[in-house]
Amino acid sequence: MTLLADLILMPLVAFVVGLLLVLMARRVRAKIERRVGPPFLQPVYDIVKLYAKKTQVSHGVMHDLAIMMLLGGFITAEIFLPVPGLDGLAEHGDLITLVYIMMVPMLGLALGVGSCANPNGSIGISRALTAMLAYDVPYVVVIVGACISYGTTNLIDIVQIQQQGGPATWGAATMPILAFAGLLATHGMLGKEPFEIYIAPAEIATGPMTEMSGKYMGALFVMQCFQLYTVGVLYTTMFLGGGENWLFFLPKVFAVIFISVAVTNVYGRYKTDDVIRWMWKWPTGIALVGLALVMVR
Amino acid sequence: MSDTTPVIPDQPEVCRTVDAEERGVWRRVMDRFADHCRARSLFVLHYCTGCGAIELPPTITSRFDMERVGVSPMVTPRQADILLITGYLSVKTLKRVILSYEQMQSPKYVLGFGSCTINGGMYWNSYATVKRLDQYIPADGFIAGCMPRPEAVQQVFLDLMKKIDAGQANAWQDYYLNYDRYLGNQMALFGEEWHTPVDVIAEAEHYGYVGDGTRGRFTEILDRHAAYALRDAPEDYPERGANERLLP
Ligand code: SF4
Repeated sequence: MTLLADLILMPLVAFVVGLLLVLMARRVRAKIERRVGPPFLQPVYDIVKLYAKKTQVSHGVMHDLAIMMLLGGFITAEIFLPVPGLDGLAEHGDLITLVYIMMVPMLGLALGVGSCANPNGSIGISRALTAMLAYDVPYVVVIVGACISYGTTNLIDIVQIQQQGGPATWGAATMPILAFAGLLATHGMLGKEPFEIYIAPAEIATGPMTEMSGKYMGALFVMQCFQLYTVGVLYTTMFLGGGENWLFFLPKVFAVIFISVAVTNVYGRYKTDDVIRWMWKWPTGIALVGLALVMVR
Repeated sequence: MSDTTPVIPDQPEVCRTVDAEERGVWRRVMDRFADHCRARSLFVLHYCTGCGAIELPPTITSRFDMERVGVSPMVTPRQADILLITGYLSVKTLKRVILSYEQMQSPKYVLGFGSCTINGGMYWNSYATVKRLDQYIPADGFIAGCMPRPEAVQQVFLDLMKKIDAGQANAWQDYYLNYDRYLGNQMALFGEEWHTPVDVIAEAEHYGYVGDGTRGRFTEILDRHAAYALRDAPEDYPERGANERLLP
């Protein structure tokens, strides 16, 4: 019974926190540009508006299924991701499962965009998958390093190890180099500048989203909420000690996303090959050094 | 001028049809809620065709900041709610505007920006520009001025929001209900060969917006062209779907 409640509550909580994260991202961007920024309920208005469109354009069965995969992938990821008070299926899965599941949405998006037959979309999704290849290498190294350091791949155990030992045993303290590399890879994962070449509104008209309208676009907005939440929570769990309760947990998640959002505005865009070069050079290099240190210890 | 050139008919009154379902309380509450959200989240596709476009950067950026009322720029017609026509339209650009407009998803709104979209403005006697935007696609509002200041741009957005919130910004339905008239005007400009990839009549049928003005003499021309193209297409033409083969 509690499991069932967890399964329903975890995606819901993720969605609500995700909405707040989106709001924060937009407000921070506005503040940096010396604007006022959107009102508090703006993310909700956007999503309801998109779902309430009176005409909808579908580009075939694959397009519809892709949206299912997209949201399904993230909802599954949420129930494997332990948060204070809600464990869900975290005991049965581990970090490796989670990394697999987090790739599903991007692949789903690729299938859907393929059926739209829009050249901008195809270019966009090929760039997105290339970018995924770029940031997943350092990310996997970071995750392997963290698993070796904690001696387990179980997320619940990882949180417990950090909480019993206090801040001195947090991942960020015991393996700062890996934590830093993780932050860089996280930034790439969020698709913010300088790694947003696959969105590039002025060049390829938002790439994968070009043909998305109405509820399809709405699903992408929902996905954005889930994405920010998943990435933020995963980083917090691995390196910032999770949280005993939501009061300590949420500020950490927001801080992780805040760092990414705050630095993104000063950058231009890297070309796709530059993204790969940079990602495989710096974050991967730093992560490998961190991994070596962890293994030596 | 040949005698096949379409004549612009008188413009019938715009009226909103109320379907029976709409009177249900639950439905009314949901519609009200949706309208509330629609009015507060507007994605704008800037169709920057004329000089007026230069007033948009200050409207969007830190000086006036449109995002604080929920208006934000979007880059493709599929994602957008508002088509903002900033300035004069040449006959050539009007074609692209119509193509973009038909790709947008309803409810969609069109705003004409500057005198040029209202009566031709300073280009009123040019051979190459369109005089009145709302003869070719239904418009929800106009901003007079040459060029209008950002304050005026904001005002038209606020007015449009009030209209949407009250459920009165329904010009997009007029395109379905009176498609024949709009098509006639478009044909008068582009010639009888004019057609777009979007099947507006089929959309009107699917979503229940067929009115007396949906079909008429000009849509008949479209049908004739379609039948002609179908007759001439080879039997094993790959694009020729099962549906089309059923047609006489
Ligand atoms: S109304 Fe004036 S500013 Fe606007 S497009 Fe026409 S001439 Fe240019």
